[in-house]
Amino acid sequence: MSAREIKKVRRHIGMHAKKTVANTAIYIVLTIMMIVWLVPFVCILLESFRTESTYMVGYIIPKEWGFDNYISLLNSDFPKWYGNTLLIGLVCAVVQTAFVLAMSYCLSRLRFKGRKGLMNLILILGMFPGFLTMIVLYKVLSGINLTGANAPYGLMLVYCASSGMGYYVAKGFFDTIPRSLDEAARVDGATRLQVFTKITLPMAKPIIIYTILTAFMAPWGDFMFAKYIAHNTSAGYNVAVGMQMWLNTPQNTFAHYTEFCAGGVLVAIPITVLFMLLQKYYIEGVTGGAVKG
Amino acid sequence: MATVKLTNVKKVYGKKVVAVDNFNLEIADKEFVVFVGPSGCGKSTTLRMIAGLEEITEGTIEIDGVVVNDFQPKDRDIAMVFQNYALYPHLTVFENMAFSLRLKKMPQDEVYRRVTEAAEILGITELLMRKPRELSGGQRQRVAIGRAMVRDSKVFLMDEPLSNLDAKLRNQMRAEIILLRKKIDTTFVYVTHDQTEAMTLGDRIVIMKDGLIQQVGTPTEVFDMPVNLFVAEFIGAPKMNMFPATLKRDNGYTVSLYGRDIAVTGAKADALAKAQVATQAITLGARPEHITLSNITNPSAIPCTIEVNEMMGGELHLHVVAPDGNKIIVRVQTISLTEQQRNALTCGATVYIAFDPKAMHFFDPETTGNLLV
Amino acid sequence: MKRLSDLEYLRLNRFQKFLYRIAVFFMGIPAWFCKLGKKIWEGIKRFGIGVKDEIFDIGRTFKNGSWQTRVSYLIMGFGNISRGQILRGLMFLLFEAVFIAYMAIAGVHWLSKMDTLGDVGAHLEYDPILDTSVRVPGDDSFKILLYGVLTIFFVIAFIYTWRLNIKQNRIADEIIASGKKLKSAKDDLKSLVDDQFHKTLLALPLAGILIFTVIPMVFMILIAFTNYDGAHDGYSNLFTWVGWDNFNALLSSADGNSRLSYTFGEILSWTLIWAIFATFTNYFLGMFVAIMINKKGIRLKKLWRGILVLTIAIPQFVSLLYVSRLFASNGIVNSTLMDWGWIDSPIPFWTDSTIARIMVIVINIWVGIPYLMLVATGVLMNIPQDLYESARIDGASGFQQYTKITLPYMLFVTGPYLLTSFIGNINNFNVIYLLTWGQAVADPSLTVNGTSAMRTDLLITWLFKITQGADSDYKLAAVIGIMIFVVIAVISLIIYNVIPSTRNEDDYS
Repeated sequence: MSAREIKKVRRHIGMHAKKTVANTAIYIVLTIMMIVWLVPFVCILLESFRTESTYMVGYIIPKEWGFDNYISLLNSDFPKWYGNTLLIGLVCAVVQTAFVLAMSYCLSRLRFKGRKGLMNLILILGMFPGFLTMIVLYKVLSGINLTGANAPYGLMLVYCASSGMGYYVAKGFFDTIPRSLDEAARVDGATRLQVFTKITLPMAKPIIIYTILTAFMAPWGDFMFAKYIAHNTSAGYNVAVGMQMWLNTPQNTFAHYTEFCAGGVLVAIPITVLFMLLQKYYIEGVTGGAVKG
Repeated sequence: MATVKLTNVKKVYGKKVVAVDNFNLEIADKEFVVFVGPSGCGKSTTLRMIAGLEEITEGTIEIDGVVVNDFQPKDRDIAMVFQNYALYPHLTVFENMAFSLRLKKMPQDEVYRRVTEAAEILGITELLMRKPRELSGGQRQRVAIGRAMVRDSKVFLMDEPLSNLDAKLRNQMRAEIILLRKKIDTTFVYVTHDQTEAMTLGDRIVIMKDGLIQQVGTPTEVFDMPVNLFVAEFIGAPKMNMFPATLKRDNGYTVSLYGRDIAVTGAKADALAKAQVATQAITLGARPEHITLSNITNPSAIPCTIEVNEMMGGELHLHVVAPDGNKIIVRVQTISLTEQQRNALTCGATVYIAFDPKAMHFFDPETTGNLLV
Repeated sequence: MKRLSDLEYLRLNRFQKFLYRIAVFFMGIPAWFCKLGKKIWEGIKRFGIGVKDEIFDIGRTFKNGSWQTRVSYLIMGFGNISRGQILRGLMFLLFEAVFIAYMAIAGVHWLSKMDTLGDVGAHLEYDPILDTSVRVPGDDSFKILLYGVLTIFFVIAFIYTWRLNIKQNRIADEIIASGKKLKSAKDDLKSLVDDQFHKTLLALPLAGILIFTVIPMVFMILIAFTNYDGAHDGYSNLFTWVGWDNFNALLSSADGNSRLSYTFGEILSWTLIWAIFATFTNYFLGMFVAIMINKKGIRLKKLWRGILVLTIAIPQFVSLLYVSRLFASNGIVNSTLMDWGWIDSPIPFWTDSTIARIMVIVINIWVGIPYLMLVATGVLMNIPQDLYESARIDGASGFQQYTKITLPYMLFVTGPYLLTSFIGNINNFNVIYLLTWGQAVADPSLTVNGTSAMRTDLLITWLFKITQGADSDYKLAAVIGIMIFVVIAVISLIIYNVIPSTRNEDDYS
């Protein structure tokens, strides 16, 4: 081997070593990250089985295991809150999806007078904090008895009614379907309604699932509106508001901390399962939406 | 099967952009008309107005004597083939082709019969169960045509149907469209930017530029007698050579070009006389195939320098430079040259070119119009 | 300063180029405002011309119209009915009847009270039958304002419909004159699924937005110009118009208001700092994680990604509330550290305002990275591989490839997304509220009307607290809401004008 060849081989080995070092570093970072990301959820799961005390303690692994917390959940208002949230989620999944699809399809594919103006108006409306309207809507909803114990129905109304404003992601999707498909169908004798139902919708499965998924999941996390409308009536809480109440004072925390953990597990499991099943569509929607704005 | 008549059709986008203006054309029953022109000339817009996909700003469009301005596309009884095929990706080939029939609520037997018949003609019977994404470009093209065929519609519109295919496939499909046309036998309007397609397919060609019709005529007419410089340069490949020259009239006509006089004889001279063209500056047009190689002994031949020699196989395309720097293309049949002559045509060599007086075109440099029209 | 030509610009070195671009940006600002002013002025002019044309057209239609058309000026839909378009006509007529009835019964009443928002509140009155004073209801400012706004919207709708009715008559006259047939009710219904399909699609969603967003928003903007709060609740103590007083109170530092404007200033600046940190830390770290996971030669890609995605699914209130308790003074983190003997007393994660601010940003990274990782992965996959190949042939190292290709591409493609997520962070209620509520302590120097804010509060959480507070200071909440709008609008405008590529919709393809 000539000196030059040796150098070459050395460099090759050097590059290889560098690569291995880099990859090892990445594995270490990723592993630490995963621990940081997963630990809280493991903790919450473990603490939910703790039976020796109901308050915050300085350790994670329970000394005595049991389902006491889950059982006491059933005897609290938790099932009611759970039912409320589930109901809101299901109704929103249907109505919001219909509204969002109608709105986004319309703004993406149809050309009519005032289209640009409408989009600008919605853009500007979106710059106001949505909570502001809540002050009025609370009064109006309480006027028709949709607050307090009936808060879930009021919330449904509010969520669904303004859902048309969240059309951006779906419009981004529709924008990618070639316009000539619509035109071909119209030449083939389809009305615009038939174009929508027979051509566009069958092709929009990913975005429909994405919209349903996000519409269903949103009510589980909403706190501000729900708290405002339910207005201290336990029967009208959703899970977020109700479970937050368990931790809002030191006394409550002392009595309900482990119950909170159990409730958190019960809320997280079905949503996580659903999410993992449909995550392909979720990822498509998120990345598509971000790229197109 | 129907006539199509466009009267004073105009299309304006927004408030200012005029896409098509003053478009008048009558298309006879079962005629094959091709709209051709460079991109942005308004040919597709016109086709889409016939289809009802664009609103008509002014004027009227009649199909079979009925004004269809306010009709939705579905009520016009037309079929259309799109540039990117526009096949419905979620439907099989069969359902793609059956789509329009299903909308009409045609009985299943009839749908089956029509679709399989069309598939048979196009040779896509084995593909009927496939989805569009499993097809090659040429196959998609056939399905798109098949989808339009099953309709039995009055007018058959095609918007650059071959431009997404590679060169070889395009030639093949072009031939097939000619055959197809014999089978379908209805009124065709075909849009393309490719003059070869226009020349080979059309009964009549409509040449457009900047939203205006330049010339309407049969392929022979537009080739032999282009009405202006634009048409002359657009039709024919390689394009027609243009020279600044002077047309002199005394007993007959002579063209003075680079200090040499070329006599105009035959039919062209008669036509000039008939049109009473006086002595004037002209733009002389000569197609590459109508320029011949001559030699130094010919007093009217023009000495040029060879810049590029393109060997195309059957013919040579010589890019030569005239004394004033004007670049000229000369087409020479390879078979007409001896080995020795061919070897002499190297870059930098001087050749003498002569014109065929039968095939000279005379244009007014000011108006760009053909002096004989 | 002289504008450079392209070739002159290219001769500058990197530093000069940078200076030149900054100079051009700042010099462009006056021109931009000029253009904006011009645009607004043109808009007003166009609007004026539009109104003039409309009035002129209304007059001309009356002059030239048939007798049915003229009658329609008073009785809406008469022209339609007399020409056989019964359905359209009846709808017009019905609308007019409803409108007149409403205005007579209620509308005029509400409108007439709009200027003062009521005169007499609930008060005691002597009741001769009971022989004692009883409380009788008076005006209700809230209702007056609400119904007033509704009535105004109704009037606008009526004027629009009336105009539509006249226009339709004119068109009908024209169609009859040209000898064609009018559209039948069946045609009308058919067009709703075809060329008027957008009306069908938009009807419900837009009605929802109008009733549940637009009208309440207009109402709340008006509230900012009243003195509606706990002390002026609208029925026992009426509220009324106060002009720009609330805005002056918020923005002026005159004595008596200094507390309010100080608090607003502090919270606004923290909101902006938070939004910048929250957006960009997430953005760059998320991208970093995505690049690590997607690096060639890294195995178990699906596992890493899957674990992160899993955390998106778990509702935020569960994870945030739980994590916030982990860091409580008696939470697991502090207990563990004390057990290990690393610290003697609990770290004030939430009670020290500086540490608390750092904590919310750090925990927000924990919440946000999985999401950003997804977005970044999507974009990374879309970067054409040949860009990297050609860069490698040109001699770029791994790091150079990152700064010269990956980063610019990401920034270019996700520019609009950055803007939206910045706005989202300004209004990020959940993270701040769920983490700090009941944990962090309020800062007494940020007390307004008895409601104290925390150093970690954003404008939006402050707004929430004000409405929930003892004083229910709605007018202040409305003013803050408008200020949030102003902040967001200004930032959006700047970014839209700085980033060249924000949103280019391909209209005619």
